[in-house]
Amino acid sequence: MTQKMIAQVPRHGLKLTQAADVKQPSIHLAADAVIVGSGAGGAIAAYELAAKGKTVVVLEAGPYVPSEKFTEMLAIAMGTLYQDHGGQSNTEGDISILQGACVGGSTVVNAALCFRTPDYYLQQWAQEFGLTNLTPEVMAPYFDKVEANLHIRQNAPHETSPGAELINAGLKKLGIPPGIAKRNIKECGLTGFCFAGCVSDRKQSMLVTYLPWAVAKGAQLFADTRVTKVLADEGNARGVEAEVVDPATGRKKADLRIDAPIVVLAAGPVQTPLLLLKSGLANSSGQVGKNFACHPTMSLTAEFDKPVDDFHGATHSLYVDKYTLPEEGGYLLLNAVQDPVEASFQVEPGTGKPYVSYMSRYRNTIRLITLIHDKNVGEVGWTDGAKAIRYTVDDADFESMKAGLKTNARVLFAAGAKRIHLPTSHALAIEGPAEIHRVIDGLRNEPSRYRYTSFHPQGTCRMGADPARTVVNPKGETHDVRRLYVVDASLLPTSIGYNPSETVYALAHYIADQINAPQA
Amino acid sequence: MSDLNRKVHEALAQIGRMTRRDFIRFGAAVTSAATLGSLGVANAALAALPEGVHVMTESEHAVFARLLAVMLPTEGSRLVPTTQVPVMQTLDAALLATMPPHLLEGLKGGVKYFDEGPIPRYGKRFTELDDAAAARFCDEWANAPEAPHRALAMGLKKLVGLAYWANPPTWVPLGYDGPVTRKWGLKSLGNAPMPK
Ligand SMILES: Cc1cc2nc3c(=O)[nH]c(=O)nc-3n(C[C@H](O)[C@H](O)[C@H](O)COP(=O)(O)OP(=O)(O)OC[C@H]3O[C@@H](n4cnc5c(N)ncnc54)[C@H](O)[C@@H]3O)c2cc1C
Repeated sequence: MTQKMIAQVPRHGLKLTQAADVKQPSIHLAADAVIVGSGAGGAIAAYELAAKGKTVVVLEAGPYVPSEKFTEMLAIAMGTLYQDHGGQSNTEGDISILQGACVGGSTVVNAALCFRTPDYYLQQWAQEFGLTNLTPEVMAPYFDKVEANLHIRQNAPHETSPGAELINAGLKKLGIPPGIAKRNIKECGLTGFCFAGCVSDRKQSMLVTYLPWAVAKGAQLFADTRVTKVLADEGNARGVEAEVVDPATGRKKADLRIDAPIVVLAAGPVQTPLLLLKSGLANSSGQVGKNFACHPTMSLTAEFDKPVDDFHGATHSLYVDKYTLPEEGGYLLLNAVQDPVEASFQVEPGTGKPYVSYMSRYRNTIRLITLIHDKNVGEVGWTDGAKAIRYTVDDADFESMKAGLKTNARVLFAAGAKRIHLPTSHALAIEGPAEIHRVIDGLRNEPSRYRYTSFHPQGTCRMGADPARTVVNPKGETHDVRRLYVVDASLLPTSIGYNPSETVYALAHYIADQINAPQA
Repeated sequence: MSDLNRKVHEALAQIGRMTRRDFIRFGAAVTSAATLGSLGVANAALAALPEGVHVMTESEHAVFARLLAVMLPTEGSRLVPTTQVPVMQTLDAALLATMPPHLLEGLKGGVKYFDEGPIPRYGKRFTELDDAAAARFCDEWANAPEAPHRALAMGLKKLVGLAYWANPPTWVPLGYDGPVTRKWGLKSLGNAPMPK
């Protein structure tokens, strides 16, 4: 394949091949590198490799949804932009595990909150996983670079929401320092629709940054194209097999084969291990798919006397990370706006009149999320030909959740809440600050008892120096197969307790540099 | 999973996942129901199987319709009456019709199990209970020691609730105005320029 230089980034949209464009039943291409997935890790790798003159093909299983087609209705966005139409969960069904599944991946639907990887974890990864190459000094220029490229900036004072203002007042009263969100957003429109995709392209997702840049550097992008097998022989990566599927009918339109000496996996922390397991590759350690963590979250919903109207504004405005490191408590608090569809199932006020009365007061409610740093106790794999995410919240992690919920409730009452609803299967509310400990101490770690959401699956192809304990080496290459790389959230050896996108962006840049470096 | 079989359990897990399922078909369901007019929808809801309902059986429809009436008693409130929203059509077309067959079979088992749930304590099926007893039964199962009972009470109510709230007219009495970018005239910033 010859590299086509477009050089100019179009003002809007992406040049790519979709199922509708494919006429022949099989396609066979050759390239220097094939990239599986077009989200955070894949888009960055595509641009960095193409910018160095490599011929690059990016294959994305999800559809191309240009921003003008976004609806600002979460229920519909789930159907078009999310993995399994928003229906992915653990095997118990009590943790909704959200991922984007479209061109641009989760970056299209994420809330754009960015944190550098804390030094604490870089040091822990060096000590426990031999990642002595990822020092804070080595990583700093990578963070600088993505922060510049993705316009990562602290929210301006007007980039807030009515609920965030109340929470901020509560934090002040308690003397808890608020963190002001940094986000990859330019001139935020304050619609509050990050989770449904940004219609006006202010969120600097991969859809409007690294993907058009990669294409301008000659990368070829296929949407509706699911990689089904990674090819390797004699310990070397050789390419991939894929299927182009018509998203309207679900029928296969073509088989695709890409021959490439460099294969970069960026299908995300659920699909990357599934693909490796299916391909029978890179698993001499037996660790592929293991060590799944997901930052489980629970939201408390607070009711106020007056309408707050916390549905437009910055999706995230502030956070509390005073207690985020494991020694401090292991939890992070995040505010987020909420639409009525989501509000309708977040809590159980009681069947019938209590529910009607609660929903009638939707305007008076705000939510505050508790996210925990969790242990890597889960596993992604295949069961009877279907994917299975086996993960239940660990007992010790549940205690962190309880500690987080207590602080969360204190903040909401200090903010002026009259009542706080818990996300339990049964009706459970806290009527005043004096009840916080009694109610939350009564919670038990049980299945189908809570309404959890995970936005951050991770850890399933962990990185490290020891081939017996890890899947990927410190340069991002699998221990077993030369020139087979992983650049997505599967890499994280431990959960980091903070939203991980900037960590993935920086690691993808770092690994792209290793791929581009002269090989021994 | 004491007395529930594996299929029902799988279906419950699927309902858990349905928090944000494919609602594209809601659009279609709402449009087709809207052509009936709100009175038409109200009349249809009273029929054994309203127009636009193809996947659920009459007895399943009876359970879902009873659950809707019990969980969302809108009369006397500001909310849009459930009779004016194509809840059953939305549930049928957007949620049930998109379920893989083996999970749908499990869900159907779960609905039957839920309907029979009150018999030991109340001597009646769920669909035969009066409003107060039916609401009490839902709350008892939501707080039951058996995880499947909790999952069913949460899951079935979530399904019915989603099918109501996904219809934009239900947002109006809440004071929620929905999409705003076009209304506010926000211009697209388009693609970012290539970094230097
Ligand atoms: C709703 C939501 C909100 C979030 N909010 C934040 C936030 O505010 N801050 C933050 O830091 N993080 C946030 N995140 C998480 C963050 O976006 C992810 O951690 C990050 O995008 C992970 O990058 P990735 O490259 O691993 O995967 P993704 O970005 O998810 O990309 C993976 C891509 O691979 C594709 N794919 C999968 N399988 C195949 C296959 N077989 N063949 C081809 N393509 C395939 C998928 O369709 C997907 O497009 C959020 C996530 C979600 C879902």
